[in-house]
Amino acid sequence: MFEIYRRTLLKGVALAPLAGLLGVSLSSQPAFADDAVLYGAADAKAKSGGRLTVGSLIEPPSMDIYHQAGEAVNFVAVLMYQTLVYADPLGNPHPLLAESWEVSPDATTYTFNLRKGVTFHTGEPFEAEDVKYSLDYMRNPENGTIGARDFADVQQVEVLDTHAVRVTLKGPNSAFLITLTHRNASPIPRGWYDRPNARALLNSSSVGTGPFRMAEFQQNSFIRMERNPDYWQPGLPYLDEIVVNFIPNSAGMLVAVKNGRVDMAVLVRPQDAKQLEGAEGLSIQRSISLNQKVLDLDCAYGPLTDERVRRAIALLIDRDAVMQAGISGYGQRLGTMVPGMQERWGVPIEQLPNQVVDVERAKALLTEAGHPDGFDIDLTTIIGYEWMEPAALTLVQQLAAGGIRANINRVDLGTWLTNFRSRQMGFTLNDWGTPPDPNILYYRHFRKQPEGADFRNWNDDKASALLDQGRAALTYEDRKSIYGRFQMRLAESVPTIMLFGADHLVVVSDKVKNHRMHPIGWHFGLVKTWLDI
Amino acid sequence: MGAFVLRRLAASLITLFLASIVVFAMVRAVPGDIVEQMMGQLGGSEGEAVLRRFFGLDEPIHIQYLDWLGRVLRGDLGVSWRLGAPVTALVASAFLVSLQLALLVLVFSAFIGVPLGLMVGRWSGGAFDTAIQSFNVVALATPVFWIGLMLLFGVSELLGWSPPTIYVSPVRSITENLTILMLPMLSLAFLQIAAYAQFVRQHVIAAMGQDYVRAARARGMPMRRVLLRHVLRNILVPLSTFMGLIFIQILGGVVVIESIFGLPGLGRLLVNALNARDFPVVQGALLTVLISAIVVNLIVDLLYRAIDPRLRT
Repeated sequence: MFEIYRRTLLKGVALAPLAGLLGVSLSSQPAFADDAVLYGAADAKAKSGGRLTVGSLIEPPSMDIYHQAGEAVNFVAVLMYQTLVYADPLGNPHPLLAESWEVSPDATTYTFNLRKGVTFHTGEPFEAEDVKYSLDYMRNPENGTIGARDFADVQQVEVLDTHAVRVTLKGPNSAFLITLTHRNASPIPRGWYDRPNARALLNSSSVGTGPFRMAEFQQNSFIRMERNPDYWQPGLPYLDEIVVNFIPNSAGMLVAVKNGRVDMAVLVRPQDAKQLEGAEGLSIQRSISLNQKVLDLDCAYGPLTDERVRRAIALLIDRDAVMQAGISGYGQRLGTMVPGMQERWGVPIEQLPNQVVDVERAKALLTEAGHPDGFDIDLTTIIGYEWMEPAALTLVQQLAAGGIRANINRVDLGTWLTNFRSRQMGFTLNDWGTPPDPNILYYRHFRKQPEGADFRNWNDDKASALLDQGRAALTYEDRKSIYGRFQMRLAESVPTIMLFGADHLVVVSDKVKNHRMHPIGWHFGLVKTWLDI
Repeated sequence: MGAFVLRRLAASLITLFLASIVVFAMVRAVPGDIVEQMMGQLGGSEGEAVLRRFFGLDEPIHIQYLDWLGRVLRGDLGVSWRLGAPVTALVASAFLVSLQLALLVLVFSAFIGVPLGLMVGRWSGGAFDTAIQSFNVVALATPVFWIGLMLLFGVSELLGWSPPTIYVSPVRSITENLTILMLPMLSLAFLQIAAYAQFVRQHVIAAMGQDYVRAARARGMPMRRVLLRHVLRNILVPLSTFMGLIFIQILGGVVVIESIFGLPGLGRLLVNALNARDFPVVQGALLTVLISAIVVNLIVDLLYRAIDPRLRT
């Protein structure tokens, strides 16, 4: 059975109360818990109890959430650690550990009223001092934390009373609420990192406020989480226990799923989904993601310095064909926005320039740029990213139609990251994701230096001005129109070509009920998942 | 005997010392470090410098080495950079899993491979010999991961069953433990049975032409007894060396099998630690492999002396 619930997912959320900020100002949020939205829709038939075993190909290197980056950590951390704000699948902020907030008209001061009666897994009450400690610890680069850069624009954090906090930013940032949805911003008990052995302790216990708490972490084997008996949302979570079982081999994982050794697994290879299609007692859930697989063009690299050349490349590429080759079509073709944000923020593809294959025009542009006979260029792929190889082969053929002779250059991830961070990415395939906000998606990658990192050396004044405006704008309408203009500029000047976004593919056994994958791919949905046993 | 052991130990220590330098340098020659891995794409240079200082990665490599060596000599393998847990504990628990698997494979394949080798050696040139020889060629040429996958798929298709993917130690439940280790053991044993059979067969064929065999036969001793009493005993010395080699080979080569069957063994620990650039764990794990190789060699040498009185001087 192949179940595609993208539509229902979107519809379900749209029907939920307060779902959209469409047309609503960011500045305040009514003060009641939006239980219907947090962690996905509830299920009236839900039964409590049972142990869910989730198969995972990847394992967190460590569960020290303040010092360890990585998706494997994010997946499970969100079950044990909570943030002030929760982003629904459309990217709307909702109160989680904050009960309500107010944003100043210039988007520089954020005042949060905190939820009362919440306790940490350590037994300590959750209060304003903890929020201040956590944000201050995270944003101090001296602590070697992973989120220091995300919170670099925080000027100060003030405790107003035991359950109110004010955060003042150095400049306007209307995406700050969504920045706070990342697990990097999860409050932990004040003074935690002053304890001896604090970092090691996080690999045997959890200190968040989440619906599950860590019971056991056996390296190279599994992590076991149990229901938090003191959890603040009544009746939640439904499951008694979640075991995430690390099986690093895809084939081993498939057999484990088929024989019920694991109840659920995230599939990273579309061919695995194909193999399991029609298997008895299992279904494949396919849902939209915030992922983008792109062809990046370093604007300071050889012939790519000429905008006409970059446009010509865009005009040679048939993205649907590349998606077919790369992930057998299990995804969404992109324009200038990631799939999960297209509906709310994306410019419709037909309105964007340079989206439809036009070999003649591409050739004309290349001739104009002084390359009537095309040119040679290295196309970089990263070893270990399975989709890149077939996608690159397809791209080589498509580029050849315009006389561009691309030569595939395979590098390991370490080397690639070093090049990326030093802004020498060249002409490369890339694979990344984002929290659901256009400022977070674009600013760091495309804003001129020094404010942004501008990894592609785009150095574009017009785009940078729009990114600054977008960061300061408060209403959805203003932001949408600014980011629309930014996307037109992106499509026109082509520092990147967003090819497609891979859908989330999750295989679940029939006894797993009410599971929905959040577009960001982290296991938020397990809070309201239940077992029919 | 005591002097011999001491001499061997001294030589081993020198080997170990030289190997530790190689290991230390090799691990650090891998591009990237723990800080890049922890920070992912999010890093900022200021925080990274703090972390490098914290881990001592800003020190010159020889200082880092001496620092590490000093602690190792005091019996302290240090603390995992990513987990904060003592390396000794991490390595010990992973090593026990691999050790148990390797021992199971060693013994199981000897039980099948040695008699098989005796038989085909005895009747070499016959149809049975040809059949076993072809099996050996295939088995020796097939990659272990392929055998592992085929076994897993085969059992899953035929029986609708696959082993549990969460490891249970033999102390907690020996039956569950063996259920989990059965298929991994068979996957690894396939190759080793062929290796044993091949090895024993060659020695049997060589022994058949020897005077002591002819003499025994001339005395009217049945072939079966000749094989077990005389030939096998003469093979024991080279066989123990061979087992030592096989054992180290299994211990070093279980990575793929561990990842297919989800076993928390030494190979997986090493791969994960290397991916995370968790140097103390990588060094600790490699050191353990080295030490076990040395210990196995020592045991083999001692066995020689126990088996062959001529070597006792």
